[in-house]
Amino acid sequence: MATETIRTLPWYAPPRVAQAMGQVSRYPLVPLAMLMFLLVIPAVFAPLVAPYDPLKGSLANRLKPPVWQQGGSIDYPLGTDKLGRDMLSRVIYGARVSLAVSLAAIVVGGVLGTVLGLMSGYFGGRVDAVLMRLVDISLSFPTILVALVLVAAVGPSFGTVITVVVVFLWARYARLVRGETLSIKERDFIARARVAGASHIRIMARYIFPNVVNSLVVLATLQVGYVILLESTLSFLGAGLPRPTPAWGLMIADGRELIVTAWWVSMLPGLAIMLTVLSLNLLGDWLRDHLDPKLRNV
Amino acid sequence: MRPKYFPFMLGLLVALALTLVTTPTPGLAQATKTDRLVFASAGFSESNRFWTVSRPDHLQYDPFLETLLEVDPKSGEYTPRLAEKWYPSADFKEWTFILRKGVPFHFGFGQFTARDVVHSHSMMMRPEATATLAGFWRQVEEVKAVNDHQVVFRFKQPTTVMDYGASRAGDLRIVSKAQWDKEGIDGFDKRPAGTGSYRYAGRQSGLSVSFERIDNHWRGEKPAFRQLEFRLVREESTRLAMLLSGEAHIADLPRELQKDALKRGMKIYSSSFPVDWMTIYLGGMYFMPGDPAFKAEVPWTNKKVRQAMNMAVNRKELLNTVFAGKGTYTYVTGWLPQSEGWNPEWQRRFDGMYGYNPAKAKELLKEAGYGPGQLKMKILAFTEPGESEGPQVAEALGIYYKDVGIETEIEVLDWAKVREMFRKKTIGCCIWPNIISWRPSEESIRTFNYSKGPNHHYENEFIDKTYLAWAQAIKPEERQRHARAIADHLFEEFADIPLFWFANEVVANPKVVGDWVYPGLGAGRSTHFHLVKPPAK
Amino acid sequence: MQRYIARRALQSLLAIWVVTLVVFSLARISGNPLDVMLPLEAGPEEYERVSKYWGLDQPLHTQYFIFLSKAVRGDFGNSWKWHGESAMGLVGQRLPATLQLAGFALAISLVIALPIGVLAAVMKGTGWDTAAKIIALLGQSLPPFWLGIVLMWIFAVHLGWFPTSGRGGIQHMILPAITLGWFQVAVVMRLLRSSMLDVLDSEFVKLTRIKGLAEWKVVWKHCLRNASIAPLTVFAIIAGGLMTGAVVTESVFSWPGTGQLVVDAVRARDFQVVQAVVIVFAGIFIFTNLVVDILYAYLDPRIRYQ
Repeated sequence: MATETIRTLPWYAPPRVAQAMGQVSRYPLVPLAMLMFLLVIPAVFAPLVAPYDPLKGSLANRLKPPVWQQGGSIDYPLGTDKLGRDMLSRVIYGARVSLAVSLAAIVVGGVLGTVLGLMSGYFGGRVDAVLMRLVDISLSFPTILVALVLVAAVGPSFGTVITVVVVFLWARYARLVRGETLSIKERDFIARARVAGASHIRIMARYIFPNVVNSLVVLATLQVGYVILLESTLSFLGAGLPRPTPAWGLMIADGRELIVTAWWVSMLPGLAIMLTVLSLNLLGDWLRDHLDPKLRNV
Repeated sequence: MRPKYFPFMLGLLVALALTLVTTPTPGLAQATKTDRLVFASAGFSESNRFWTVSRPDHLQYDPFLETLLEVDPKSGEYTPRLAEKWYPSADFKEWTFILRKGVPFHFGFGQFTARDVVHSHSMMMRPEATATLAGFWRQVEEVKAVNDHQVVFRFKQPTTVMDYGASRAGDLRIVSKAQWDKEGIDGFDKRPAGTGSYRYAGRQSGLSVSFERIDNHWRGEKPAFRQLEFRLVREESTRLAMLLSGEAHIADLPRELQKDALKRGMKIYSSSFPVDWMTIYLGGMYFMPGDPAFKAEVPWTNKKVRQAMNMAVNRKELLNTVFAGKGTYTYVTGWLPQSEGWNPEWQRRFDGMYGYNPAKAKELLKEAGYGPGQLKMKILAFTEPGESEGPQVAEALGIYYKDVGIETEIEVLDWAKVREMFRKKTIGCCIWPNIISWRPSEESIRTFNYSKGPNHHYENEFIDKTYLAWAQAIKPEERQRHARAIADHLFEEFADIPLFWFANEVVANPKVVGDWVYPGLGAGRSTHFHLVKPPAK
Repeated sequence: MQRYIARRALQSLLAIWVVTLVVFSLARISGNPLDVMLPLEAGPEEYERVSKYWGLDQPLHTQYFIFLSKAVRGDFGNSWKWHGESAMGLVGQRLPATLQLAGFALAISLVIALPIGVLAAVMKGTGWDTAAKIIALLGQSLPPFWLGIVLMWIFAVHLGWFPTSGRGGIQHMILPAITLGWFQVAVVMRLLRSSMLDVLDSEFVKLTRIKGLAEWKVVWKHCLRNASIAPLTVFAIIAGGLMTGAVVTESVFSWPGTGQLVVDAVRARDFQVVQAVVIVFAGIFIFTNLVVDILYAYLDPRIRYQ
């Protein structure tokens, strides 16, 4: 288990990710393949892969069904939306938007949470008490409500959504990292480092942090899916990304009244979300099982 | 049983217990379909305090609280209701109403008299009054009950829109003084007494308001359905689902869903008159001399630009796509053929001046000094429940303007923000589509174009002068003259980008609803539920 | 132990106070409620009058002080949109509906998760395990509002088995509860699975059984104490998730609960109600956490001395 690893190996334990990477046959191939196909490739290569500009449409072509239905054509393989914009292109660009939002939110929230969690666990005492209260308060905030009020205040935008998600996420990272820090900081090698004169920052960065990375990776992977869902829910309530951003959540929200007449407008982005989040969750589960079984109950 | 399950079994038990303990008494007994008419609405402010509720939400009072004057469902004219006769004084500062005799209030609160009118008006004088016409009612200096069946309203200034205010299109609901004296506001909140052919049966917070038919209506009105219920259903697809599954018999549906309902055999009931207009308003149109809010850099202060912005819009396509073809063209914002000052010439000249002509639009822009890509503007969009087309129109505009070389950016704000901006005259940056409900054209000018009015959409000296003359004019020909002067002026100056008039359309199940005529101009849009008739056998 | 409880209780109060401050400020930033409350016809005199009536003309800190001094007595003022109702009264009217929905959703998620969790544990490592995992994860991958609409269309419109919306009897609760609870299935299932695995493997349990120690003694004193900790945390988290998930579900199914209430209140800029709802929710959450922490401290003495 992870604890034994730290005791027997020297002070620096290479992240289990690196170790796990070495074992090709244990890769979760299916989720990874789905992810690449649905999220990563479209996100990165969107301008090359998408057939049309996702923002440009013509009202004359609105609500065309996908190619396999009557009335559909190969020009618009997945049909068009209310304003005549190509669904395929919008779904592809949507991957880019979803990825951008989740990465931004997770990086900011993760860094913030990790730093605060490290400090909280390492220094203990007052610092810990204050930070843990902050965590409590942040966790007790009904995210959706905060988002609604915030958007009513400053209007929907990329920044607003990221802010809301970060406020929601950082506390989880902080709590996790603090817990791990608490157990690690009692170990011998930390004491040895202190005796050797290492500064607090050095200890936290070089000694504690690398042992926390495993759990962080697992949590982050699991969170990406959740952030995507959160963004779509916020868009549904009108508190998400601004129009005409091709965001999956926004597309579903826009198409929800058409769910009977033009099902593809909301079903296709919904399907995209589902498969993406599913593969992320599977990947996260696999990572958790292989990197850090302690996190089973997170 | 394994010990680890105890927490879960406990949890399960707690959850089930919670469920059973808080199961409510089932809603008002579901009568057979034909006995209880259910209308699925987009929602309204739930309160019995009509003086705090704005006009569209007066839907919830229409069945049971009446007004002094009626709006004829077919002709739209103001006809007698609780008042038999009414007339202004020579200076239009005093309005006299002769009241009907023999009108009983619900729940046994006695007969309707002038005292009830005085009382009902006094509700509008309360500090929390926020009804649509509260400002108007507070202009009343005194309401005097001359005798039991005659009441006089004396205004500070002459007014020509009293009949509108006192009608079913306004918000002066007549309620019982006797009830107020006996039960106070609490009794009123619980069960307000009115004079309509339905009476108040109850509310379920967040869910519905219900009414039941009375047997002794003063006019002998006998609605076909014994019970009536208005359900609050925010989600549009849920309303459609309710209609199709039979839970609701009439539903307020957006145009997209109307198509689908029609496909499944439902029928549309349209109001007799258009009730809303959609116009794209232009910010910064503050042409009063010396107005500091006026900024010459705003591109559309140049008339050529305004005309170009009009000619770039393909109204026909917009109407057919975003609005499913349902609407009529607006030539001057706020004017209907029956409005004072209507000019039939507009229809003839509209195409030449405002019609879709991207080439001409580009030319006009060049003349104004804007080459392709040089003119940038922001379009503000917002949605209100029941009006989701704002952003769609904004996006369509973006596409049309791009075609003629105008760069646009769409910003989605919420309505309140946009309103604050035009109230405070800080909206010079932007243009915004807005759907506004009908009001008499004189009121429309006062509210939107009069420099001392609240909203400042397009104002200048000429409009101010002419409006004041109009508001004080008494002879009909004089009024028509002033009204037309203003309307023609707005037409010539391309004051904004007028789009369409829309009727109120609701969808009903033909198995339950056979006929219904309503004007749409009534406060509440869908009104006159007592006229809903089941299908002829 | 007393000191621990006192300390935690104090911290909880502090947390609630911060919540009131944040909600108050956020709500006020969101703009002027008069722009939503008043009709287009309203001129500056109307704005002034109504502003004075609702105390909005006062400086912010005065408003906050008035608000706080009333709030500690449970008075959150009168609603600006639901005229005649008090903010707390509205919350009181709608909260049972949300609690009922959340309770039922929790029950449903347990009912779904139990067989899946057991199956996954018993058949660990096989295709069944993976299949169960995928089914559970599917729940976490679907946008809840989308699921709700789809369920409504299939079961209420096409099949006609359930009503589409509203609140009335058990049949009105099923679709919204499934929508709300489905999300939690994965969490609960995972927990069940790991618990089951531990139990099946437990050396300790095997040993005590061999020794012939009275099963109930073993179970009660030892296993249950240790076993309860994890589910307690998860319970708190799930409860929080259900309460906020209710917002979307209630919108789709027109369920008259606090979720629907708060969405309407935010749209109408009815600060009084928004404040009341958020503070009540936060209060419930903080209180639940407090109780959980105290139970922890009772079950695991080490925690008390941190």
